[in-house]
Amino acid sequence: MQTHKLFRMIVACSAISGVAVAVAQEPVRIGVVQPLTGPVAYDGNIYVNTVKMLVDAMNAKGGVLGRKIELVVEDGACNPAQSVNAAEKLVVREKVVALLGAFCSTSTAAMMEVAKKYKIPHITGISTAAQLTEQGNPYFFRAVATTPMLGEAFGGALPAAVKAKRFAFLVLNDDWGRSMASSYPKSIERAGGQIVATEYFQQSELQFLSVITKIKGSNPDAIILSANTQQAVGLSKQIRELGVTVPLIGEGSWTSDSYIKLAGPAAEGVYGLVEYVYTIDTPINQAFVKDFRAKLNENPSKFAGAAHNAINIVIDAIRRAGSTDSEKIREALKKADYNGIVGNIKFDDKNQAYGQSVYLAHVKGGVPEVVTTAKIAKP
Amino acid sequence: MEILGQHLFNGILIGCAYALIAIGLTMIFGVMNIANFAHGEFYMLGGFIAYYLVSLVGLNYYLALPAAVVLVVVLAVILQHSIFRRLRDAPLMTTTLVTIGLSILLEHVALMLWGPQPQSIPTPFPTKPLSFFGIYTTPLYLFSMAVTAALIVVGHLVIRHTSMGKAMRATFQNKEASALVGIRIDRIYMLTFAFGAALAAAAGAVLGGFIPVEPTAGGIITLKAFIVVILGGLGSFVGAIVGGLLLGIAEALGAGYMPTGWKDAIGFFAVILVLLFRPDGIFKRA
Repeated sequence: MQTHKLFRMIVACSAISGVAVAVAQEPVRIGVVQPLTGPVAYDGNIYVNTVKMLVDAMNAKGGVLGRKIELVVEDGACNPAQSVNAAEKLVVREKVVALLGAFCSTSTAAMMEVAKKYKIPHITGISTAAQLTEQGNPYFFRAVATTPMLGEAFGGALPAAVKAKRFAFLVLNDDWGRSMASSYPKSIERAGGQIVATEYFQQSELQFLSVITKIKGSNPDAIILSANTQQAVGLSKQIRELGVTVPLIGEGSWTSDSYIKLAGPAAEGVYGLVEYVYTIDTPINQAFVKDFRAKLNENPSKFAGAAHNAINIVIDAIRRAGSTDSEKIREALKKADYNGIVGNIKFDDKNQAYGQSVYLAHVKGGVPEVVTTAKIAKP
Repeated sequence: MEILGQHLFNGILIGCAYALIAIGLTMIFGVMNIANFAHGEFYMLGGFIAYYLVSLVGLNYYLALPAAVVLVVVLAVILQHSIFRRLRDAPLMTTTLVTIGLSILLEHVALMLWGPQPQSIPTPFPTKPLSFFGIYTTPLYLFSMAVTAALIVVGHLVIRHTSMGKAMRATFQNKEASALVGIRIDRIYMLTFAFGAALAAAAGAVLGGFIPVEPTAGGIITLKAFIVVILGGLGSFVGAIVGGLLLGIAEALGAGYMPTGWKDAIGFFAVILVLLFRPDGIFKRA
């Protein structure tokens, strides 16, 4: 009987140590939640393909901590409920050590609760709704500037950069558009500009003739817009078709290849206020663009840039932590001092990124050229 | 003044398209007693097929538009033959649920075939705007307005002056009596459904030149068409035309002189008023 118990204990112990050995050689698993279906599926797929490409390259160089990196991708569909389920599955079943995602701010807000519950570090490179980092969630990090931060950094430069005094806003009727219309005017007015009109359109709309006509009646020198690809195409075409020739300045997809191709001549001369543009003239970005073109056959969009930041910041933190323990990764992330495609990124005490560059790009001959850069100040 | 003129022009341009789409919806309802929630998908498919034919097959623009309409009609005939013919005597609730399901199905088929990217149909027209007395337009807008207006007139003539139109109106007024005098109800149903689908597809193909085509575009179009049909009276052809123009102009002026967030609310507000005070629509005629 006694020997029997002892034998069983020995078997159990060796089994546990066996598991421990297996864990040490297992890959480091990173969970990704992005919309692979639904209205922003196109951009979500670009994000996932970029992360895959970068992880393949890292694995070819030996991975991290001597272990391979393994991605586990789930579809969040830009839907909060589905994003939460995806994140739960990644943490509980797939045992990921860090989460990337989601995309739409509402989905990210839902997903960060899962990160908090299981104490797993979570990074977004895309969601810009300001309140996400205001909730004091210690496991959530944002590696992108919020709309108010962009407005603060760029509003003052706009009147000189586009040689305009009278600005009109034509923005999406949601968090994003409304926070643009409330954050840009202060710095524009300080720089001598004035706001002559503020108009909103709905997410479902593709026909903007009446609101463009209304803006036209206020006689602006430049129009500031927020829109994703599909609405940006309709807006810029219809604005030109109604005979409005003033410069357009857009936050969103205004410098992406797909927008420029779809909008055709209407994209010419458009300014984009962006967190990333593929023409940034630094060696690290040039190398990224070269790899991206070779693998995915197009120029990286801002979503590809966001993916590059997010995965590199996480892997850099794991390397510095020297461990895949989630607390240690979180501490390493807090101390991040990462130099990437948009410059240096650090996190403030609310885990909001600062120090990186943002860009005003001008589309010329189908190519977005960087006109001005600004640095995101520590909030 | 120029701005007012521009708003009216925009309103008529969009109003003609609303009217064209709503005519089909109101006829399908009047004749077949089906509230077709998949009607906007015919608009979307008209646009996507025209885009496919022009951009990817390389067909001439003026050939691609009618070809797209013909292909949507073929689809409508298949749907009518395989689904709606079997539901001829089913209650309105059943057919409504079927059309809602159909709209989801068609949207996802389009998503699988063409992807989520919005597309614009390349047109042979110059993109440079034209200006008349300060009102800006483009050759494409004028083409779109001419085609939609012409199709409305053609539709009206068909309904008023052909034997097919007379048979449709007879079926609308009394199904049993029409069958008694020798009208083949199944055939009339088929023609009505195909005719309605054709008009919506034509609107989609023409407007797709300046309003991007995307798989989810059908939903909002169906809603607008229902507003028009309720304004004009369910089953009323003239009501659909006047209702379409009214909604287009009301939206344009409303967005022009009220906060733009109200634009979509205007139509629904009008519907509530009409349902409260004139539940048969403004122009209801038996």
